[in-house]
Amino acid sequence: MSTTFKILIAAILIAVIGIMSIYSSASRKEGELWETLCQRQMIWVALGLLAFWFFFKFNYRWLWDWTYFIYGVVVFLLSLVFILGIVRLGAQRWLNLVWFNFQPSEIAKLITIMFLAKYFSMKSVDDVALKASKFGLWRALILPFIFVAIPVFLIIEQPDLGSGAIVFMIFFIMLYLSNVKLRFIIIFLALLGLAIPVGWNFLRDYQKDRIMVFLNPNIDPLGAGYTVIQSKIAIGSGGFFGKGWLSGTQSQLKFLPESHTDFIFATFSEEWGFLGAVILIGLYFFIIQQGIRIAERTSDHYGKLLALGITLMLGMQTCVNISMNMGLAPVVGLPLPLMSYGGSSVIVTFIALGILANVSKTRAVF
Amino acid sequence: MRIKLLHFFVIVLFVSLAVSLANLTIFQGEKFRDLSNKNCIRLIPQEGARGKILDTNGEMIVGSSISYDVVVLPQEREALEKTFSGLSVLLGVSTEELWQKFRRGYSEPSVPVSVVKNISLEKAVSIEERKLDLDGVVIQSGAVRFYPYGALASHILGYLSQIDRWRLTKLADYGYKTKDIVGMGGIEEKYDYYLRQEGGGLSVEVDHQGRFSRVLGFRPAQSGKDVQLTLDLRIQKITEIALEGKTGAVVMMDPESGEILAMSSAPNFAPSLFVNKANKSVSNLFADPASPFLNRAITGLYPPGSVFKPVVAVAGLETNKINMVTTYNCPGFLAVGRREFKCWDTHQNQNLLQAIAHSCDVFFYKTGLAVGAQGIHDYALRFGLSRPTAIELPYEESGFIPNPIWKKIYKFQKWYDGDTANFSIGQGEVLTTPLQICRMMAVFANRGKLVTPYLIKAIDGVDVSANHRRISPMAFKNSTINNINKGLRGAVSEEKGTANVLANLGVSVAGKTGTAQNPRGLSHGWFVGYAPYEKPRYVICVLLEHGAHGYSAAVVAKRIFELLMQQGLI
Repeated sequence: MSTTFKILIAAILIAVIGIMSIYSSASRKEGELWETLCQRQMIWVALGLLAFWFFFKFNYRWLWDWTYFIYGVVVFLLSLVFILGIVRLGAQRWLNLVWFNFQPSEIAKLITIMFLAKYFSMKSVDDVALKASKFGLWRALILPFIFVAIPVFLIIEQPDLGSGAIVFMIFFIMLYLSNVKLRFIIIFLALLGLAIPVGWNFLRDYQKDRIMVFLNPNIDPLGAGYTVIQSKIAIGSGGFFGKGWLSGTQSQLKFLPESHTDFIFATFSEEWGFLGAVILIGLYFFIIQQGIRIAERTSDHYGKLLALGITLMLGMQTCVNISMNMGLAPVVGLPLPLMSYGGSSVIVTFIALGILANVSKTRAVF
Repeated sequence: MRIKLLHFFVIVLFVSLAVSLANLTIFQGEKFRDLSNKNCIRLIPQEGARGKILDTNGEMIVGSSISYDVVVLPQEREALEKTFSGLSVLLGVSTEELWQKFRRGYSEPSVPVSVVKNISLEKAVSIEERKLDLDGVVIQSGAVRFYPYGALASHILGYLSQIDRWRLTKLADYGYKTKDIVGMGGIEEKYDYYLRQEGGGLSVEVDHQGRFSRVLGFRPAQSGKDVQLTLDLRIQKITEIALEGKTGAVVMMDPESGEILAMSSAPNFAPSLFVNKANKSVSNLFADPASPFLNRAITGLYPPGSVFKPVVAVAGLETNKINMVTTYNCPGFLAVGRREFKCWDTHQNQNLLQAIAHSCDVFFYKTGLAVGAQGIHDYALRFGLSRPTAIELPYEESGFIPNPIWKKIYKFQKWYDGDTANFSIGQGEVLTTPLQICRMMAVFANRGKLVTPYLIKAIDGVDVSANHRRISPMAFKNSTINNINKGLRGAVSEEKGTANVLANLGVSVAGKTGTAQNPRGLSHGWFVGYAPYEKPRYVICVLLEHGAHGYSAAVVAKRIFELLMQQGLI
């Protein structure tokens, strides 16, 4: 069985599990909104599969040529969100397209990977080796940092701290994978450590609250702390075999907010127990294993970086979201890839997997 | 090499996820299943008190008083039948009503529902005493709005009500939630962000009998900030007394700074009606044809009639179309084109001073025709007409001043001289609010400065009036303002002046009456003026909707000045 096929099967399985959980979390709630959630998610998955096929089909080298252009478009979209946010005086993560809300910060994660993959896989004319390992501080660190910082700033301003942090982590991992000198990365991390106390002042009050609540969930019994406690109860009460599909009590009776988006993992594991949840985590792990294998087999450095970046992005989002559900990470508002309700997230994840499969298919050419 | 290391790191991450999952579900599973079965976490919200609204001397206009609400916990659903029958005996409310309130207020299993609001202290105590029989009942103390002066200044204050869908979509980003109580109209709405309290609460764990066992978390509730107004309660009361039983508005302002000292609109309403929601009386008020919720001082639009004449006079003097010796003969009418425009009397020869004092229409027809419609329009705009005054109240109207180009574009009609004649006595399409007229008169009272009216003096004890005070000098000749002031004084002091009723008060008043014809019934009566003439302290604008004549408005102003003098305020 080809790698592409394996990835696709695992992704579809996860998406189906997601739809089932959304159905379950919505089934006992009233109102038409809830009834349509499940149907809409199915449409998103179907569109996602189309996107997967589309990005699988063409040669991914085409992306190489268009990277900077797409980067520009995404930064433009983010600025648009930013400006609309100023105009409407409030939080703004969405662009209201004609028939659905589009969240550009999702695609910004992907384009950052593409951008960095291209940037660090440049080769000099007379040398086959990568330039990145010989880069000085400016070209290895500061220049790419500026290009990453622009979308990150716009995302954090939205304010979407979770996505901003993920893009930042991607940046760091890409630096590491591109054979940038280790001491640069250490300097970078040290500077970052110094910047945290300064950055604290730039966070919105509610973002500070969230981090404080993460450290001690009980200081906000009515808000995020409540969610974390309920989410832990939901997961824990599932036990080994779970309460069974459609029989979760925490998630269905509205004790657990956001049960169909960021906290869908809690909904799922309440009903399917440890067994189901471990299988789910296993499916994610399987996709990530396949991704790393693709990267290892690819000789083209651009493809390699692209595959690794995408794989690690999915891995990180999965880990952060599941940890958040179990009360091990702050509630930062990150969806669980492929499972959480939401069109932008589902489609972008499928696009990313499409590119991954594409790299796998084309690797022999270069 | 680096890939291998990262790969290893990913494996470690996923394994630790699985391990902590096992920890939650298998090792601690029993504990969480217990918690889940009993739903033993209760949220007890606590509300802070909304900020007070104070007058300029720090006197409280609106405050909060303590209230006791009966709240039930939805988790105790099985016990509610018994609880409600117990409550209905104690409170004298039928069980059906309690169930109805419960169903309407229910949102989430974890959120308590308030079924009876604002009960007396004695009843609250008696419920607390029988707590063991009444499962799932909590007496929650909170704050309700308290209006020591009843309907006083109700239009400035506004009232409180549950947030509606339209406001919620606008304000959700600021942390507003469904069922929040927000300000509607007036300062309560405009300064809701400062006034509103922040809810806190307790989350507590209870045992399987619903008895409290320990506190899990606590966030203190926060009270709102106090807002201090420039309003003077003493003057506000006087204006409301003078307006009693009438329909109209009074605005009183400090001519030098633009501070609003009093603003009343009649008929008014009692904001306390919204505290104990007596739905019937509130909906009756909304259906009232006299529209008691309308703040006529800023939202009511009226043709200014003769009170517009000082603007025309300024335009005439400043453009040198007339001067102090210009005299027009008033035979009681003026023929413009094929139409005859009447004056309300036959004044014979009139110069500017006399024309203002006697409110001679013919003089102003001629002045207006000499200046031209565009010229009058431009001067009117300089007096701040046709745009909102930027007072800190919601729903202010901008009024309207026509001009020939507007008529061409929007009505596809030519502007005739007859339109100019109508325009120059403040009729036709001209629309103003009493506040705008008051502001216009302040230019004469302070000898040539356009002030911006404002209401907010301090927020949370911090003086913010400097941010609101905007005074811009107008480039008029000193003589222009002084001469018109003489005319305005003449309207009061001269025996035949239109505002002569204000003559023998013991305080020197200057002003102008107006009788504005309108297509819907009787004319509106205006009086706008200031006092004392030598060193003005107050600008006053009285409007009586369908008050028949400017004279009646001047009588209201007289009553206000009398009362002000009685209390030594002038």
